[in-house]
This record gives sequence, structure tokens and C-alpha cells, in this order.
Amino acid sequence: MSQRKSYAVGTGLFIVLGFAALAYLATQTSSIANRYAGATYTVDAKFANIGQLKERAPVKIAGVRVGQVESIGLEPNTAVADVKLAIDLRYDKIPADSVATVFTSGLLGDQYVGIEYGHAKQYVAAGGTFSLTHSSPPLEEMLGKFFGAGGAADAIGGTYKVTAHFSNVGALSAGASVKMAGVPIGQVVSVVAEPTKLDAVVTLAIDNRYNQIPDDSAAAVFTSGLIGSQYVAIQPGGSPDVLKNGDEMILTQSAMQLEDLIGKFLVNGSGNADKKDAAAGK
Amino acid sequence: MSARMSPDNVVVRSLAQIGDCGLFLLKILAALPRSTRYARETVRQLWFVGAMSLTIIMTCGLFVGMVLALQLYHVLSIFGGTAATGTVVAISIYRELGPVVTALLFAGRAGTAITAEIGLMRATDQIAAMELMAVDPLAYVVAPRFLAGLIAMPLLSSVFCALGIFGGHLVGVNWLGIDNGTFWSNMTATVDVWQDIINGVVWKSFVFGAVVALIAVFQGFTAPPTSEGVAYATTRTVVASSIAILALDFVLTAFLM
Repeated sequence: MSQRKSYAVGTGLFIVLGFAALAYLATQTSSIANRYAGATYTVDAKFANIGQLKERAPVKIAGVRVGQVESIGLEPNTAVADVKLAIDLRYDKIPADSVATVFTSGLLGDQYVGIEYGHAKQYVAAGGTFSLTHSSPPLEEMLGKFFGAGGAADAIGGTYKVTAHFSNVGALSAGASVKMAGVPIGQVVSVVAEPTKLDAVVTLAIDNRYNQIPDDSAAAVFTSGLIGSQYVAIQPGGSPDVLKNGDEMILTQSAMQLEDLIGKFLVNGSGNADKKDAAAGK
Repeated sequence: MSARMSPDNVVVRSLAQIGDCGLFLLKILAALPRSTRYARETVRQLWFVGAMSLTIIMTCGLFVGMVLALQLYHVLSIFGGTAATGTVVAISIYRELGPVVTALLFAGRAGTAITAEIGLMRATDQIAAMELMAVDPLAYVVAPRFLAGLIAMPLLSSVFCALGIFGGHLVGVNWLGIDNGTFWSNMTATVDVWQDIINGVVWKSFVFGAVVALIAVFQGFTAPPTSEGVAYATTRTVVASSIAILALDFVLTAFLM
């Protein structure tokens, strides 16, 4: 009898322990831990670009979590993102002219909505709107300001083809975009090695709409952002003649290798590294 | 039984085994209503396969969590992303390692014992004696063990995961110095209760528990009544369970994702 009792008690303990562990996992380590027991009120915020913001992303004031993103929609007529923020009722004294901004935690982190307090005497009410918003600044755009990149290729209608010779195309591949002033105007059709001149021949298909490009324009291989893909940028020249189908672009600038660039700044750059490797090879 | 003894090739024999196993599952399910009168036996089996497995499950869970945190910390530090350690530890334990490793341990710890026990019952004519006494061995011997496996696995898996998180926290926060708040807040921001805990921990380990328990009782019940036969059956339990767990894991993941 006592034998049976002991294992019955042990089994009971085991079941309780198992369910306790499950409850712990579900409530303490999952998103339920972030759910608010208290009631929330909903405030609208309209953004031109929300980047990678997702539903249930945190809403923070001064870095403190005060709510979460309830839903994300698109206003069809104005093409702005309509983000509904569910904010804890305890924080109901948010000035109506506060600014809602889409921030990124760290360089590669998740995005969240930050609210910076304004100075208005009125508080934003349930169903109200933050009229002042800052959109998500995409990393590519910020870097693009430094590197002269940004944007994405659009659909292409009729095209004409020109070729350009580069001594080094880096990681450029067919399908990469061709941009002028940062705006995509075409794409790379092929990248092949020239057997006699020992350089790379890149064929560009440029949209027929852009048929006024001077024939002394320069083509350069750029990189979007630090670790982005490579594209061909066209810098217009001053010639009165325009590029036509089958023309070759004379002025080119090859891909800048990040390693080379860094090497120029650092003492132990690529040049020395090569020598070191050679020395080590002996 | 006859299919296994015939000198067919390995494919036919495997198919026959799977077919026998499926039919055996139907028999167990049919015997479940009759086994309700042996509820005490189910509790005893739950004690044996569940509570007695806790030590190994907890130890392994702790170490799996610790080694995950250690590995991830060093890989993530390359990208400056050590703050994600807690998230990745939690997600990988909940979705994969928790259910799978628990099921593998369960097959080794409890499955083999079930097979050997039932196989020896058969070899020592205890099963035949039960039948003579009008006690249905399916209801008295097989069904309680199957049920116990079914109930024990999700619970064991939950304990494994909780200890894994604890181990990850121990190494990540106390040893490697990740910020405690970052560890938890990143984890709670990413782990979804439905996707990761219900689908991952509970549902997967429930299926694994059913498969391991079924294979164990089937191999035991159909083992040739010799010492060699029981030994082979025990080995087959481990091999077949492991293959079934890992193959099913892929299928389940593909469906649940």
C-alpha cells in the first residue's frame, strides 16, 4: 500500500513539475510576458515608410516599453502606412504634438516605435492620431547618402544596349541595376571576360525613356551600402551626342574593393598582408 | 509475424513491420476503453517512464542550454549580436532540440525498458498466463505503457526546455556577461507562445511520445520469446525510434512552420 502511495505521489509531483515548466515557458519566456494585463488605448500614427516594423513591435517612450504595435495597414489613396499603437492606459498623458518615430535597435536589431514628448497642453486621446511622425530611415538610404546609392530597380519597358569595359567589376553580376542620379534606369544584361584585352565587358540594358544620355558619360561600379549588392552608376558627361544601341562607354571606373579602401587607411593593409602571406609561404 | 520470418528482402520486411506496427496501434486504441480499469497501472508506468526519467532529462537539458549559449555567444560576437543569444537559445531549444533530444533520451531511457519488460513477459509466459486468466494483455500491459509515454513526453520536454533556458542563462548572463535584461527582453520579444511553445514543445513531443511508446510496446510485444529475440527487439526500439523521431521532426517542422 505504502509502495503504491509513494509512486502515486511521485507521479503527481512529476505531472505538476511538467506543467509548471510548461507554464513557465509559456508565460515567462514568450511574448505573453510582454502582453499587458492592463487596458490599452489605441492611437494612430501615419508613416511614409515603416521599414521592417512588424505587428507586436514595442512602442517606447524614453526607451521604456509602454505598448505595442497593434496593426499595420496601408492607406490606399495616400500610400502612407497606417500604424495603430496600443498604449498602456497608465500612460495617458502623452502630449498631442508628440513625435512618433520608427527606430531600429542597434544596427541590425528589430524596429520599434519611439515616441518623443511634445509640449502641447492637450493629451492624445484614444482613437487620436500622432500627426508628427518620422519614418524609418532605411540603412541603405543613409549609407547611400555617403556612397551615392539608394532605391531599387523598377520594371523596364523597351531598352537599348550599350557596353562598357571595366578592369575590375568586383561582385557585379547580370541582373544588377544601372542607376543614374541614384534612380534605376536599367539593368546589367551580362558580365563576361574579354579574352584579348583581359578585362570585363559589361552589357547594360537601359530603358528607352532615358535616351538622352551623353556618349561621354562615365560608368562606375558602386556598392549599395557597406555590404549591399553592386550596381552600375552612370555619371552624365557633357557631349552633345547621345548613347545609342550598341555603343561603348569609354569612360569607366572599376569597382572599389572595400579591402583596398580599408587597406589604404590601415598600416597593416592589403599590401602588407600580401607580403606577409608571401613571407609565410616561404 | 509471418512476414518477418519469410526470407523477403529488407524493403518488404520493413514495410511489413510498419504495417504490423500500424495495426498494433489500432489494437491499442481499441483496447484503451478496456484499460480504464487499470488506471492505477498507468500511473505506475507514468512514474516509471516519466518521473524516473527526470534526472537524465534535467541534466541533459541543462547542458544543452549551456553549450548552446556558449557556442552562439562566440559566433554572434563576430557580428556584434551577442544580445540575440537568449533568443536563439530559446528558439532552437523550443522548436528543435527540446522535443528531439528529449524524445531520443526517452527512447533510450524508457523505450528500451518497456520493450525489454514486455519481451521478457512474453518469453516467461506471463502474457500467456494473463490471457488464460482472461486479463487482456493489450489493456493491462500495453495500453498503460503507451498512455504513459504519451503523457510523459510533453511534460519531460517542457522540463528539458525550462532547464535548457536556465542553462543558457547561466552561461550567457552569469558567465559570459550578457546583460540580464537584454537576454530576457529579446527572448520574450521573439518567442511566440503558439508557434514556438504549443507547436514546438508540446505538439512535437506529444507526437514523438506516441511514436516512441508505440515502437517500444510493439517491439516488446512481438519480440521472439528468447533472450536473443528480446535483445534484438530492444536494439530495434532504439534504432527505429531514433529514425522515426528525426524523420518525423522534419515532416512536422515542414507542416507546423
